[in-house]
Amino acid sequence: MANERIYLSYATAAVAVAAVPLSFFGPGGLRLAVIGLLMLAGPGTALVLLLRLDPPRSMQATGVLPLSIAVAIAFSLAMSTLVATAMIYAGLWSPPAGVFILTATTLALLGFELKRSRTTLAGAK
Amino acid sequence: MTNDTAETVPARTAPGRDEHARHSGAKPPTDRNLGLTPSWKIGALAAVAAVALVLGIWSMTRVDPQQIGGSGLISALPLTYFVALAFSLAGFVASLGLRRFIPGLLTWQVLVLVLILHGADPIIHGLPRLEASFRHLGIADNISQSGQLNTGLDAYFNWPGFFDALGMLSGATGVTDLTGIATWAPVGINVILLAPLLALATRLTSNPRQAWAGVWVFYLTSWVGQDYLAPQAYAFVLLLTLLALLLSTFSGWAWPTDRNRFCRWLARGVSRLDGSVARQGIVGPSRVDAAILVVVCSLILMAMTASHQLTPFAAIPFLAVFLLTGRLRLRFLPVLAVVLPVGWLLFAASAYLQGHTGQLFGSFGDVGANTLGALSTKVSGSDSHMFVVYTRLAEVALVWVLAIIGAITGYRKKTPWLAAAAGTLAPLFLIPAQPYGGELLLRLYLFSLPFAACLAVLPLMSDKIVASDRTGGLGLKRALILLLLGGLLAATTIVTRYGNDSMESFNDDEIAVVNHLYSTAPTGSILIEAVRNTPWKAQHYADYDYRALVAAEARPGAAPLTCDPVNEIARNSGAYVIVTDSQQAAADLRGSTPADDLKHFIATCGTSPGWTKVFENAGGVIFQIQGAKNGK
Repeated sequence: MANERIYLSYATAAVAVAAVPLSFFGPGGLRLAVIGLLMLAGPGTALVLLLRLDPPRSMQATGVLPLSIAVAIAFSLAMSTLVATAMIYAGLWSPPAGVFILTATTLALLGFELKRSRTTLAGAK
Repeated sequence: MTNDTAETVPARTAPGRDEHARHSGAKPPTDRNLGLTPSWKIGALAAVAAVALVLGIWSMTRVDPQQIGGSGLISALPLTYFVALAFSLAGFVASLGLRRFIPGLLTWQVLVLVLILHGADPIIHGLPRLEASFRHLGIADNISQSGQLNTGLDAYFNWPGFFDALGMLSGATGVTDLTGIATWAPVGINVILLAPLLALATRLTSNPRQAWAGVWVFYLTSWVGQDYLAPQAYAFVLLLTLLALLLSTFSGWAWPTDRNRFCRWLARGVSRLDGSVARQGIVGPSRVDAAILVVVCSLILMAMTASHQLTPFAAIPFLAVFLLTGRLRLRFLPVLAVVLPVGWLLFAASAYLQGHTGQLFGSFGDVGANTLGALSTKVSGSDSHMFVVYTRLAEVALVWVLAIIGAITGYRKKTPWLAAAAGTLAPLFLIPAQPYGGELLLRLYLFSLPFAACLAVLPLMSDKIVASDRTGGLGLKRALILLLLGGLLAATTIVTRYGNDSMESFNDDEIAVVNHLYSTAPTGSILIEAVRNTPWKAQHYADYDYRALVAAEARPGAAPLTCDPVNEIARNSGAYVIVTDSQQAAADLRGSTPADDLKHFIATCGTSPGWTKVFENAGGVIFQIQGAKNGK
């Protein structure tokens, strides 16, 4: 389980980092896939990794995985919408800048998750 | 009684099971590994779904769109499609009935169903469904290119959140043509919906099998077709996630239930109706995580508010009924759900508000006009269309009857039902607001469906399952009834969902006509569609003056179209008129014009003075009408 979290963190970070140069250049299909994935699930996946949506009792928590996926997608879509809308209303429309903000949010949440994991690990020792 | 319902309900785990799990080296028995199911059985069921998928897709590729008539897609589907559907339904029910509960297998079965039942548009037509999809692409393109909102142009720019995000995607990727995304949106959105639906159903039911059956019934009865590339589809995903998150993490009373007389009365009433609050799916976040999740809920509400007119208002009754039934601890959230959309309407959408006050509030409180009045406008059209409309009404009635039976069963069996019933009824509080362009009832059905579906399957869950003994399957009798019900609903949904296919789908010839129009007409020209149902505006959204002679709505006793209105519009600057196949289909289906009137219109007006045919193919025709300034 811990390994799965680590791999997911790496994958999320990789998508977030790759999205920044791809917002300026690259093959259309690849740009659409990576930036689309970031907008669909990037910040939300980082958020879900940061949170500990663990059940109080495992028997009763069969909805945790669907809930985590749902929150990951909804939060990412909400962030994409709010960032894009804020840029429009502020008169600062720049899609690559929007992607950069989403990348920064994703990496920041992953950073908090890393810090939290270390703190928890240190506490356990 | 405390203010946390979760604390008040005894856990239904076997005594000592957790203890055993902590202290024993052996793997404790769980719901997943109790009961032996041979691997070959699991493999066979997965293979059945795979066969259903291949056969279903192959069958859809064999459909000739020209054969799709007034009753929709069902008339053109080959027999093999129904065999595929039967395999898919049987595969799901058999997977659900296994002694061993296997979520991965059920996920595969549901995804196959989604592709077979909701993937017909992209597979058969290969183009976005509904002319609105093209409009939505155009709005996103306009925002992406200009970075500005033309709030005076139409309502979309006053709730631009969804289009802003789509514009950002287009702008950041350099992909200006998002037609592929629009084409596959119905499949993509239904796949995305799976997680929130399942999370929500898990909290509304007492058992994962019931939750999966509820999600399955949702897909079998979701015929309203709001799953195209549209703000409402996007907002629906957010709404379901919000509700699932709240019921999972913030379930319970928002106040001490012994605080005063009203609170005591309320808690007693709720407890009498449904004392068996479901613990399934409850998540216990830490205080910090709970605070973060509150922020997440607020952000989701904000994104919803910025994106769609109706959905944020639909969230209000949901939150209110959950608050009053002890399913929501966050008192401030219903207040925020009111403040955000009202504030948006007053400030961000003020340009729209100023010109549409009558439209927004004119029908307030008029329940008859908003329900039967709006419904009566839909119950008209050709005979085959009337068959589709009546089938839709019958399907809605069936779902509601099943939900009522489910609620009664839940009450009698003392298994969780109240939250699902409250969610089913909550959207109805929107009825007095306004008819929402005659579509309110459709939207309310969609909002209530995830809840109603969970209730509808409750009577089919065995007592053992209802009592949370998850080691047993459905039982043969119940499985057969579920399969029959699924078959009935699936067949009905093919009629109801794809009943308007001849007018809601387009072909390459029509797209070629539209493209030719844009290449011919100078920017700023007046472009007139005979009937409002043209796959245009995907680009050049604000570059032309778009007009329509008649809406694609029923007009009982409608007068024939004449050349005069067009000549009047074109008198000064000239204009272009476009008539397409799907306009003809819409007029025939809905009765927007007298029968064959569009053909007569083309034949008469096309040869009248000043009219020049500039393009024609199998998908439609374009005329240029000379004006004083020669078409510009």
